[in-house]
Amino acid sequence: MHPRRVLRFIGVLVFFVGLSMALALLVAFLYSEPSAGDLAASMGITCGAGLILFLATKGEEVTHLSHRDGVAIVTLGWFVAGVVGALPFLVSGSIGNFTDAYFESVSGFTTTGASILSDIEKLPKGILMWRSIIQWLGGMGIIVLSIAILPFLGIGGMQLYKAEVPSPVVDKLKPRISDTAKVLWKVYILLTVLQILLLLGGGMSLFDSVCHAFCTMPTGGFSPLNKSIAHYDSPYFDGVIIVFMLLAAINFSLHYRLLKGEAGVFGRDPECRVFLILVGILILLVTLDIYGSVYPSLAQAFRYAAFQISSMITTTGFVTADYDTWPSLSKCLLVLSMFFGGMAGSTGGGIKTVRLIVMAKHAYEEVFRIIHPHAVRAVKLGGKPVPSDVLSSIWGFFFLYLTCYMISTLILAGLGLDPISAFSAVAACIFNVGPGLGLVGPTQNYLAVPLVGKWVLIIGMILGRLEIYTVIVLFMPEYWRK
Amino acid sequence: MKIIIVGAGEVGYHISQRLSEENQEVFLIDKDAEKIRRITENLDVQAILGSGTSPKILRASGIKEADMLVAATDSDEVNLFACLLAKNLNPYLLKVARVRSPEYLEEKELFSQEFLGVDRIINPVMAMVEQIRSLMMVPGASDVVDFEEGRVKLIGVTVKPDSPFVDRPLLSIRGVEGKVLVGAIVRGEQVSIPRGEDTIRANDLVYLVVKGNDVPYEFGFFREGEKEGGRVIIVGGGVTGSALAEVLEQTKMNVKVIEKDAQKCTALSEKLKKAIVLHGDGTDKDLLLEENIRDADFMVAVTGDEENNVLISLLAKGLGAKKTITRINKLSYIPLVSAIGIDTVVSTRLSAVRAILRYIRKGRIISAVPLKGEHAEAIEAEALETSDIVNVPLSQVKFPKGALVGAIVRGEEIIIPRGDSVIRPKDRLIILALQKVVPKLEKMLTVKLDFF
Repeated sequence: MHPRRVLRFIGVLVFFVGLSMALALLVAFLYSEPSAGDLAASMGITCGAGLILFLATKGEEVTHLSHRDGVAIVTLGWFVAGVVGALPFLVSGSIGNFTDAYFESVSGFTTTGASILSDIEKLPKGILMWRSIIQWLGGMGIIVLSIAILPFLGIGGMQLYKAEVPSPVVDKLKPRISDTAKVLWKVYILLTVLQILLLLGGGMSLFDSVCHAFCTMPTGGFSPLNKSIAHYDSPYFDGVIIVFMLLAAINFSLHYRLLKGEAGVFGRDPECRVFLILVGILILLVTLDIYGSVYPSLAQAFRYAAFQISSMITTTGFVTADYDTWPSLSKCLLVLSMFFGGMAGSTGGGIKTVRLIVMAKHAYEEVFRIIHPHAVRAVKLGGKPVPSDVLSSIWGFFFLYLTCYMISTLILAGLGLDPISAFSAVAACIFNVGPGLGLVGPTQNYLAVPLVGKWVLIIGMILGRLEIYTVIVLFMPEYWRK
Repeated sequence: MKIIIVGAGEVGYHISQRLSEENQEVFLIDKDAEKIRRITENLDVQAILGSGTSPKILRASGIKEADMLVAATDSDEVNLFACLLAKNLNPYLLKVARVRSPEYLEEKELFSQEFLGVDRIINPVMAMVEQIRSLMMVPGASDVVDFEEGRVKLIGVTVKPDSPFVDRPLLSIRGVEGKVLVGAIVRGEQVSIPRGEDTIRANDLVYLVVKGNDVPYEFGFFREGEKEGGRVIIVGGGVTGSALAEVLEQTKMNVKVIEKDAQKCTALSEKLKKAIVLHGDGTDKDLLLEENIRDADFMVAVTGDEENNVLISLLAKGLGAKKTITRINKLSYIPLVSAIGIDTVVSTRLSAVRAILRYIRKGRIISAVPLKGEHAEAIEAEALETSDIVNVPLSQVKFPKGALVGAIVRGEEIIIPRGDSVIRPKDRLIILALQKVVPKLEKMLTVKLDFF
């Protein structure tokens, strides 16, 4: 690893995140809030720090990055971005202490949407806007953004891209990685604008529409409202948000192909098909479970079930109902959805549908082999064999995910959380969902989690967002050996 | 520009690397999953697993919108068939094929537009033979690139420690303006396009731009006695050796070919007119001494065995050959071999890369040749009437840093420019440029054209 090279890039990153505060600043100005001064100060500090870091490491080429550099830049970049994101919360006094502000910020960037705020609505609009912006930036990825706009990266961009967008198979939409990143961001922006327009059309205020769209497309789940989407109690908004949550959890290369005129691409893609079927089944089960027991009408049961399942499986974390009061089966299904997550190449978290499919097929082949010990068979996805290195990487990933999950849960339990809260808090953070059950349920927040617990969850969120390998490799002694 | 390259062997890999570094959209097709994996990791190109002769794969690589197809696999048949398919999938595509078999090469009309539709055949062996010939025309040089049929030469020469120019700034070198221009300096792995205040150091490889017919031997870059070059010993009478002997026979050179295989020797002697064919082993010290290796100006080792070539060259060098030219296949060996004292290395693959890249340029750039170290290149381009570079003294043209005009060709006249030289429309320019400024330069030379 080349520490100066890494720092130089982090400098650029910090500068960019600083620049993005301008939009929040604008909002604060429009509402002529005192928070404008705080945001301007934060922006100045951030951009200044980024610039100093960039200039102090002058003369370092960032065109040729090794695997190790890429991993370090991405992991360190995310931790640092968290600090930068926390700055406006601290400067404005919206959040009193660093741990809480950092938790909120990392939860934003990783598109988790877990909050420590009890009364969100009392925050200045500028700060609320900033809370949404960090989600939006984090969704498609700050590194991917820098690959798209920094012309000098060249092949170095590939190393960064792979570290931030860890998908079992690299999906290059364009021959050049910077063009790929550009395409992804264009699709992302397009969908976001579309959602803003649809929300506006339904009568939501401009500020709320922008904030909600900024938190839907990255499958984030922050809302500027205390009661989240439940505040509106509008089937129209529920519908729009369900659709966009699902779109956000679908592989962006499919969106791109659809926009290029390839009709029916969602149905043809094996992963997308399974994902949509899975969503359908889960909604059906929860609807049946809560029909009668919670909601007297089938339509109501379906509406809330559809929203909550979509919100959980896409790892968004918006809330329209206090599902903590739902029957046990529904609660289990909701937590299970968190594990599943969206598709690879989407902004969703979780284990990802493609990994589930491949693991299921592989497990089936193993059973099949017991019956026919001499059978030669390959695990196929969409008619194409899955290479064995991809297979083993998926199983390794799965194991590491579960290990991190269990260790974190044990620590939280050790800190005194009840089992349900501990289990669901870790799931909600590591899979980047947001709200869990019990103590961290839909009507609660993470403020009550002890200090150490918050840090465990912060690390969990970043682990989940970068899909484990990128982060964990930094903790291997082998990585630091020359 | 969108370019499809079939075959990710050394040739395909290098071309892709160069083009992707120049921000072209490159699709690289290969059958080998391991190669594809390596490329996905190392190059910023779209690597596609599959056969270049599969219409399905070609379609998937977007052949409909592509500008060019380069078929660079090791198999002539695959390359030609890929071009044939490509022609039918996209008639407007420019196609370049690497073809090695002499038999195919003789049948020029077969490759014409109507049948196979290959626009340009690159024959690596001939490209390399041509390169060796150019080199021999300038004894003492370690690299020679001809432009305008040899009327302008770019000569790479290593600066000896006793050269009068060592440690002096270029500005202080007088008496050569208009004759010689130092176009690039290669120091270790670093290439720079020099400015007046830069200095030359011992063991730098400098690239000089000169007029083709007056290589300045009186000038201190060359040593006494390096001027004459008349005696050549070629070791290895295979395809390359015999082609080289045939080419050299047409010059005034005295050519000897040493070949191990008796049958090949017979065939060679029937084919060659003046050259002496010797049956023996190139590593045989006595044979080399007997044939006066001490007086040989060039010893060319072009047997099929690259390790053997290196040893033969080292032996010949030890026995007193003035200059050795060694054929190497693995491109990764090249820096190593230079380190152990081999003068000049040639490679069919490198020659093929050069020849293909020379052809690929867009717009007004006619050709481009990568220089040693690969981070710089010499570009041949035409000055457009509408371009900003014409009709003003060169000192006022805002060339990007790292680019410089080495020669101006105006009809029959060749000008090695100075600050007050002026480029006129329709002039052909030889420009030396670092690779990273090439896109900028391309824009400068073509931008006005895009408005039409």
